[in-house]
Parts: sequence; C-alpha cells; structure tokens
Amino acid sequence: MTRAVSPRLAGYAGLAGLGLVAGLAAGRVELVALAAPFALAAVVGWALGRPPRLEATLTVDRERALEGEQVTATLELVALDGADRVDILLELPHALRAKAPNPRAVRLHPNAPLTLELPLRCERWGAFSLGSALVRVRDRFGFHTWEMHVGQRTSLRVYPSVETLRSLLPPLETQVFIGNRVSRTRGDGIEFADVREWAPGDRLRRINWRASARRRELWVNDQHPERNTDVVLFLDTFTDVGSQGRGTLDLTVRAAASVAHRYLQHKDRVGLVSFGGFLSWLLPESGTRQLYRIVDSLLTMDVVLSYAVKGVDVLPPRSLPPKALVLALTPLLDVRSAAALLDLRARGFDLVVIEVSPVPFVEPGTGELADLSYRLWQLSRESLRARYQQAGVPVIEWREDEPFQVPFEEVAAFRRFAKRVRV
Amino acid sequence: MSALAYAGVLAYAIAREPAFAAAIAGIGGIGALLLVFVLMGSEELLPWTLACLGGAYALSLVAHGSAIDPRAPLVALGLFMCGELASWSLQERYARATPRAITAARAVAVAALALAGLVAAALVLSISAVPAGNGLAWTVLGAAAAVAILAVAVRLAQRPT
Repeated sequence: MTRAVSPRLAGYAGLAGLGLVAGLAAGRVELVALAAPFALAAVVGWALGRPPRLEATLTVDRERALEGEQVTATLELVALDGADRVDILLELPHALRAKAPNPRAVRLHPNAPLTLELPLRCERWGAFSLGSALVRVRDRFGFHTWEMHVGQRTSLRVYPSVETLRSLLPPLETQVFIGNRVSRTRGDGIEFADVREWAPGDRLRRINWRASARRRELWVNDQHPERNTDVVLFLDTFTDVGSQGRGTLDLTVRAAASVAHRYLQHKDRVGLVSFGGFLSWLLPESGTRQLYRIVDSLLTMDVVLSYAVKGVDVLPPRSLPPKALVLALTPLLDVRSAAALLDLRARGFDLVVIEVSPVPFVEPGTGELADLSYRLWQLSRESLRARYQQAGVPVIEWREDEPFQVPFEEVAAFRRFAKRVRV
Repeated sequence: MSALAYAGVLAYAIAREPAFAAAIAGIGGIGALLLVFVLMGSEELLPWTLACLGGAYALSLVAHGSAIDPRAPLVALGLFMCGELASWSLQERYARATPRAITAARAVAVAALALAGLVAAALVLSISAVPAGNGLAWTVLGAAAAVAILAVAVRLAQRPT
C-alpha cells in the first residue's frame, strides 16, 4: 500500500502557524482569526490519516471466451472501517474493452460488501492476464490518499472466431488410419473403385455377380478405403506486417484456427509448426484436445526478432510425418521461411503455400523513387511465387477481405490442371 | 469558484484600504498568478497562493490602523474556501463517473469544516474582545500555540508521500 499526503495538509498547518506568529508579532487578532480555519483543518486532516482496511476479490465469470463475446469481471470490496471515496481501475489489455465506466468511484460503508461488475467485450484473440485492480482510497477531504493493488490476477483466453469452411483441401496421399477421407488406394471401404478378377483370399461378399455372369468367371469389386490424413500447419512467424492490431500474423492465426478446427472435425491429425524467431511445434494428433492445444499455442504466438539462419533441419522429424499435407501460411517476406518451404517440397512433401498478403498493409510511398521501389518489391514477390510454381507448389494469395474458402478452391483448381511433378 | 473566493477576499482587502491599493493588488496579483498554476495542476503552490492573499489582507489591516476588523472571520472563510475548492477541482480533474452521493458527501463535509472554521475565527475575535487580566500569560500561551502548530506543520511536511 502506498500512502500519499496532500501538500495542502502541511500547507494548512504552516499557514495556521504563520497566522499565529504574525498575529503575535503585529498584535493583530484578525490574523489569528485567519489562521483558525486552517488550524482546524490541519487537526482534522491529521486525525483522518488512518490507513483503510480493505479486502477485495477479483473474479472473471469464465476463463475462455470467443472473440466478440462478453465476459464479466466481478470485484468484491469490503472496508472494515468504511471508505469515503474509493476509485477503482481495472487495468485491461488493449484487446478487452470495458462496457461500463472504468475507472469508477464508489463509497464503502463499514463492513458492507460491495460487488462491482464490469462487462468486458473481447475485441481480439489472445491470452490475457486480468487484474489486479488498482484501488485508490481518499479520506473525506482528500488530505490522504492510499493506493494499492487488490485481487489476484486471473487469466482469460480469448479464442479467435472460426470461419466456416465448406470444403477442405484433400491431400494427395492419405495415412493408414481410419478416417473420413476416401483414399486413392484400393482396399476395404465403401466407395466403389473398380472390378477385377477374383483372387484367393477375396471374400465372398465382394463378388460382383453381374460382372461374373457376363464374363463366366468370378470378378470382385474393389473399393477405396476411408483413411485419415496428416495435416501440418506451417506458420511463418518471422515477420508481421500490419497496424492497429490487424496484420499478417493476425490473419495467419485466424486462418490456422479455422483450418485446424475443420480438419480435426474430419478425424484428421493436425500438427503445428511455428517457424520464426521462436521455433515451436505440436506433433500431429487428432481430437478436441488437440484443437485446444493448437489454439492455445496460437494465442501465444508472436514475432520474435532473430537473425539466426534456420532450415527445416531444426524441426524434429516427427513433426513432419511422411505423406503429410503441409499447409504453409506465410506473408512470403522472409527468405529463411521461403527457403525452408522449397526444402520441404524438395523432400517430397505435399506442400500448399497460402500467401497471407502483406500488400494491403503496406502504404506505397510518394515520389518516383518510392514508387519504383514499391514496384520492384512486388516484382520480387512475383518472382518468388514463380519459383514455387515451377517446383509444383500452388501459391495462392489471400487477402483480409476474402473468405478463407477462396484459396482452398484455387488450390483445388490448380491441382486439377497441374501436372504432378516428382522432384 | 475558488478564483471567485480569491477575488472576493482580494477585492475586500483593496476596498478596505484604497490608499495601499497598488501594494495590496501587487501581492494579490502574485497570488492570483500562483492560483492559475495551482488550477493547472501544481497543488504544492496552494499554500503560497493563500499566504499571498493573507499577506495582502494583513497589509490592509496594518495600514488601516488599530481598529479590529469584524469581518475577519468572513475573510478567513473566503481564504479557506479558496484553498479547499481549488484542491477539490484538482482532485476531480482526472476522475470520471463520480457518483452524485460522493460529491454531495464531500460538499457537506467541506461546508461543515468551513462553518466550524468560521465559528472558530469568530470565537477568536470574541475572546479577544474580553479584557484579559494578565497580558503576558496570553502572549506566552499564544506563542506556545504558534510553536506547537508550526511543529505539527514541520512534522506533516516531513512525512513520506
């Protein structure tokens, strides 16, 4: 607790003393009368200087919320001796906006608990720490001020809102586990693939009697089995371009959350690689717990400045399982991540690059030189895209104002018409 | 309102002794300048502001002669209200959403303290009108009171803030 005494209190006492001395020296009783209110105020102020006995509890109605939702922070205050004026400020991160006055002033009666509710709107995703509340107590005349932090810090995780994706990008190859995706291979499944001659070991119920009658020998149906896929979300966190809380990293996190949510709904295994100044990864897993792990990991994602040269070699092999679909979300600004992605492609991964475009966040400068440099920058980006496309990697530009479904559809179209290249 | 109280006391001091109007207005003007700084946020200048105004009034008293000013308690009230209102406005400057009950409670408290101060000042004047038998004893008592209150002031000023 920090205590502050108003300079007025000492000033009043000094004025009272000065008035008395001046009255004595000049023999004027009026000066003594002038000093009387100040002397009285100084005595009263001195008597009021007892520290308040305040107890407080800060709680939040839930620990997790979605972007755009409202949570309520509740502060319970009780002063054993009462307090004439209590100013309360709940320190909030920028992403949370109070829907009620903050700070606010209240009066506490002795031993009477007061409950203050502060509705908070979650403006942006993130992992936040709420509290403690800064409380300033003043006596009735404002001579003494006590400041203290009350209540425990509580955590609040605001998850990014998930965009609905109608269809997902099918991987080129599936894994061996049961899933919802029709495999290109043949085996036991539901989807019809082809008919072939009977072979020893084929089950009776797979015989196609119509085809067998026509050919006068046994023919059986082949099916495509339903398998799952491994999807690795490769996030480039070397750089972030943006302003006022909106930027490429923000878009990357939102897109990654939507994609992870949708793939996990399809019983696929989803992993995460954050490739940037701070390297982190999550091994591919399936299920709701993995979704929470991924989103929690996304919430703490940030750009960490680093000059270290990094390649995919630094990643543990299990974070990039064979035949996995690697979905890279990158602004294509850092050469390290660009080189790492080309390296992944060279290793035979099914790679899709979704370029989270930094262009809308970049203001072209004025003047001939600035215009020239802006155009050169765009040309260099196009050249990088061409390099990826030569390697058979679809590169789709995605902007903030477009739904995330658009790049998926574009990738599907690219795959439909592109030749498969074995590098 | 604080500036109004200040102007009222200064106007009274000047009107009481027009012959010394320039000197009184000069001291009062310095105080008024200090009051502007106080209202801009420098609360530590408040005692100096009040001291200037008190000084201007003391000058008018001394210049006027030995007659007791019966309105001295009202002047004391004006000085006190000037200080209190200036300080209150400073404290409310950055406060938002102050409930009316808190404002009313402080207004009542300040009014009560001002009234008590007025009564005390009036009491001082009334007591001075009573003839005292032993002048030296009163002088010693007054000096002791002055020393005591100065000691309190020094003690308060030394407190950590």
